[in-house]
Amino acid sequence: MKILLLQMRALVKLSFLELWRRNDVFALALLAVALMVPLSMASPFGASGATRYLDEVALLLVWGYSLFIAVGTGSRLFPPEFESRTIYPLLSKPISRGRLLLGKYLGACAASGSALLVFYALFLGSAVARGSSVSLLEIVQAVVLHLAFVALAVAASLFGSLIVTRSANLALVPMVLASMFFFGRKLLHYADAVSPLSAWALKVAYAVAPHAEFFDMRQRLVHGWGAVDGAAFAAALAYAAAYTAMLLFAASAVLKRKRI
Amino acid sequence: MTEVVQVSGATAVFGNVKAVDGLSLSIGRGEIMGFLGTNGAGKTTTIKMILGLLKPTAGEVSVMGGDPSLPETRRRVGYMPEMAYYYPYLNARELLSFYGGLCGMDGRTVRARTDELLDAVGLADAAKRPLKTYSKGMLQRAGVAQALLSDPELLVLDEPFTGLDPLARIRFRELMRSLRERGKTIFFSSHELGETELLCDRVAIMKKGRCIYHGPVRELAGDGDMNLERLFLKTLEESK
Repeated sequence: MKILLLQMRALVKLSFLELWRRNDVFALALLAVALMVPLSMASPFGASGATRYLDEVALLLVWGYSLFIAVGTGSRLFPPEFESRTIYPLLSKPISRGRLLLGKYLGACAASGSALLVFYALFLGSAVARGSSVSLLEIVQAVVLHLAFVALAVAASLFGSLIVTRSANLALVPMVLASMFFFGRKLLHYADAVSPLSAWALKVAYAVAPHAEFFDMRQRLVHGWGAVDGAAFAAALAYAAAYTAMLLFAASAVLKRKRI
Repeated sequence: MTEVVQVSGATAVFGNVKAVDGLSLSIGRGEIMGFLGTNGAGKTTTIKMILGLLKPTAGEVSVMGGDPSLPETRRRVGYMPEMAYYYPYLNARELLSFYGGLCGMDGRTVRARTDELLDAVGLADAAKRPLKTYSKGMLQRAGVAQALLSDPELLVLDEPFTGLDPLARIRFRELMRSLRERGKTIFFSSHELGETELLCDRVAIMKKGRCIYHGPVRELAGDGDMNLERLFLKTLEESK
């Protein structure tokens, strides 16, 4: 058990250091500040209600950045190890491939999650400066659900990185997640309005694709609709856990069979 | 002599290509063995089988009497790959701390070993510099340090002389000899025949997946003007 913890700690620290020592997170954080500071000062047409739409824009930025970082981090967990040949000393250490994958995944989640918390802190700062009121329970739920989404996105990009090329993975995973984020809840409505074959394809997509929209609390935060019902909140977390576990299990099976 | 590595009739087939063909080899405790061969001779594939990264299609490989793919066996093995580009955003100290964690070593032991090893490979002064600023030779030395971190009984090195300057080569030879004196077993592949001859007790020469020579280096000295380079060329010629 002690060895497992030492191994996990080493892998988590590696992902953490990698993310925070690369310049892209800082570039994104700077970009977020550059966009959110003007937003925090804006008061469109002097109408106080209009600021909620600025909050929505700020939250959309947070979602975009978190997707970018989660997918970038997840898809970088293994391919660079193969390219730089560090996979050999890594696998020659007394650690199984499954444990290695788990440690790297946890590290990527911790690193991406920490970046997400920074973005939410920026958002809250911007919202408070604008005079928006946010309930503590709502923001906690929003952050937790967003973290669950990040965990799922990291797992999806990790799995993708083991089965397709890096560029394909970096295009496919964000596209699927973003499509589900924006259109997931409408897929079944679309299915009613198209041909039977297309409807069948949409229903399959609805059943199989990861439902990023389950974790989206932007509207509730912006319009002050209140916290999500506890059962729905727990169900969304359970969905994220089950989907993530399935992706990690598949990634582990691929890595175990991969010829090194 | 106790056998640390025992390869018996190992064969590795990839599609239609037989990378290693019925290789039998043994390495005794406290021995330094050089593994020679032209490009594509099957050296790296053999090393992967010894490390348990690749299962032989046929035959058997055992390391210290156990399955090399098991973590218990790997705990006693150190490996340095050929020219790995270690994590550029880490420094040498963090690199060793990372690998120490993977080996299940506690922080205090890792720190003590890190100081010792960085000094031994001549990287103590550059220990806090990011690895992306390292030269090839320095990366190679960092690779040697990570392989030695857990004080392994068997050290497997793939082309360890690549990128090393003459001074670093001398230092490396001294380090390997001191390890041998401590009873460590060293197996390395190389194209550097002169260095191999200076360092090894025995050599194995591979050609097209087969071992075409397997014997002590010391005997070569008594064979007229036969040095390792001549033996290597002669052996390759005879095996045509």
